[in-house]
Amino acid sequence: MNGVLIDQWIVYALLFASIYFEVFLLTSFIERRMGGLKIRKRISGALPTVAIVVPSFNEGKTIGGTISSLLALQYPKNKLEIIVVDDGSTDDTLCVAKRFESDSRVRVFYKENGGKHTAMNCALERTSAELIGCLDADSEVAPEALRAIVQVFENKQVAAATPGIHVKEPRTLLQMMQNVEYRLSIFNRFAFAAKGSTFITPGPFSLFRTGIVRELGAWRHAHSTEDMEMALRIQAAGFLIANVPEAIVHTTTPSTLPTLFRQRVRWTYGWLRNAIDYRYMFGNRAYGNLGLIILPSAILSIFAGLYFFARVVFFLVLSAVNTIDRVYDTGVYPQASFDPFYLTTSAVWLLIFMSVALVFALLCAGTMIGTGGRLPPRATPLFLVLYSFLAPLWYGAAVVRAAFKTGVRWR
Amino acid sequence: MEDPVVNVRTANWWSYVIAFLITALMFATAVYASNYFNNRRISEIRATQDDISSDILSIETQFDLLAEHSCSDIGESTILPSELTSLGSQLSYMESQGGRTEEITRLKRLYSLLLIKDYLLMQRVAEKCHLKPVFILYFYSNKGDCADCENQGYVLTGLSREYPQLRVYSFDYNLGVGALQTLISIHDIENALPALVINDKVYYGFHGIEDIKNILPQLATLEKSATSTDSKKK
Repeated sequence: MNGVLIDQWIVYALLFASIYFEVFLLTSFIERRMGGLKIRKRISGALPTVAIVVPSFNEGKTIGGTISSLLALQYPKNKLEIIVVDDGSTDDTLCVAKRFESDSRVRVFYKENGGKHTAMNCALERTSAELIGCLDADSEVAPEALRAIVQVFENKQVAAATPGIHVKEPRTLLQMMQNVEYRLSIFNRFAFAAKGSTFITPGPFSLFRTGIVRELGAWRHAHSTEDMEMALRIQAAGFLIANVPEAIVHTTTPSTLPTLFRQRVRWTYGWLRNAIDYRYMFGNRAYGNLGLIILPSAILSIFAGLYFFARVVFFLVLSAVNTIDRVYDTGVYPQASFDPFYLTTSAVWLLIFMSVALVFALLCAGTMIGTGGRLPPRATPLFLVLYSFLAPLWYGAAVVRAAFKTGVRWR
Repeated sequence: MEDPVVNVRTANWWSYVIAFLITALMFATAVYASNYFNNRRISEIRATQDDISSDILSIETQFDLLAEHSCSDIGESTILPSELTSLGSQLSYMESQGGRTEEITRLKRLYSLLLIKDYLLMQRVAEKCHLKPVFILYFYSNKGDCADCENQGYVLTGLSREYPQLRVYSFDYNLGVGALQTLISIHDIENALPALVINDKVYYGFHGIEDIKNILPQLATLEKSATSTDSKKK
């Protein structure tokens, strides 16, 4: 079998796998829309006590807004505590946080820098609340978010719940594209929860049952992605993770390519290393949808992204070199043809168009889930065209780092 | 906005089967659509060939009636060179896409026959009407044994673009068409490709634009294309 044929088979296999996964998620959404899996929107007993932890490191500029949004939560004052843990900041984070201590709900602690998991555990040791949540110091919650999210804990099997995360005031082109990407994440979180397969409990406003977190052994460093590891540990222990899109949180996203690149390398690196740590779940029927399709697809998407990217770059470079060679050898410049006869209509291209159309459908579903609207943000075409070229950059860096276990930094 | 969602992770095999069936259906649609568009292209090529074929027949008939007509009624243009070039490009494109080899080869054979007929007709018209057509016969191979054929093809395309009245007849040396083999024998062309027949003389190997202009000074008598003239002025 020659190389071209092998490449064709790989392309078809990857396209089939990615379209299959997209269809699988879309059908789970449709299944839900047809009436299944709903949670009663009513709290039968008293509201649970909640501790929201704000782990912070050098976030003096944004932490004020974060704490203010927590204080504005529509939740009984005697049932809410806000624990700010300054993880050894060198800026005015502590000073800004201390200003809020006049409110009885706010407690502020300072500790030596040790990473986000140590800040979370510091708060875990100091609270007796039934639920513990996290809100990154660059995020702000909507006033009704907490009331919306606590309702899912009526089900005693639910160990954690994730919110609907939106981009806070997207300004740059990159943030606008992330705004689109976050709509896709809203859809994914929803579909994964509908399949009982959430494997990330993100930093902005995920809530946990405190007793279960203690039982499972608190937060770990987990390759700088403690939010993924905790979700995988909850899944391994057989508990449920719910998703509450109505619990809206707005988070600040990187505004430049280098900061976005650093953040995503950390996420992807952490995911890959945690996947290795929890490899026994992959393909394991005991973990249901999570082991059989969600985790394998999440890993495959990274390698598919890298393969398609490498393929596109290879053929673009080859074509450019050939054209330059030809012009040099013959003196004849290429001429663009707009004859529709030459429009490519190979099965591979048609499948790529179908896959992109499916992503668009998922974005519309994400928008419907997250905002109640119908059309995704205006930057969607840009996201669809450019993001598949951007993501492989951090995928590649993360794969290399994960292979050599280099570790990653937060900033 | 959607209500909260939670579910157990137990695999429901039906959802896997349904997703598989939908994906398989999408694949089948893509393959069917791709075949449909390719068929349309083949039909387009076939229609163009039919047009050219009927044009040739018409001119041949006209030529047979030449005794009763003046040369001015026929002129130097038999089949428009641009039509032939365009048809050749379309066939090359279809060939490069792979698949349907037999169908493409059959169309190529017919195309070669049309080229030969046009070539012969043009010579007859030229002889009767005392015209001096400028043409090149080009023999290539795409079996992977001719490293310079691709570049030679681009040079000839560039020349055709510069001189729309230049007639370039391109033949696949390995195409099993009797008339083509006869043409190869008449000009005694060896399998050392690319080969160009210019003014009844055979030239082997790659020849650039300037080489051909030197070999074929009659090119200077042809009208240049508007774009080429414009670019020269710049």
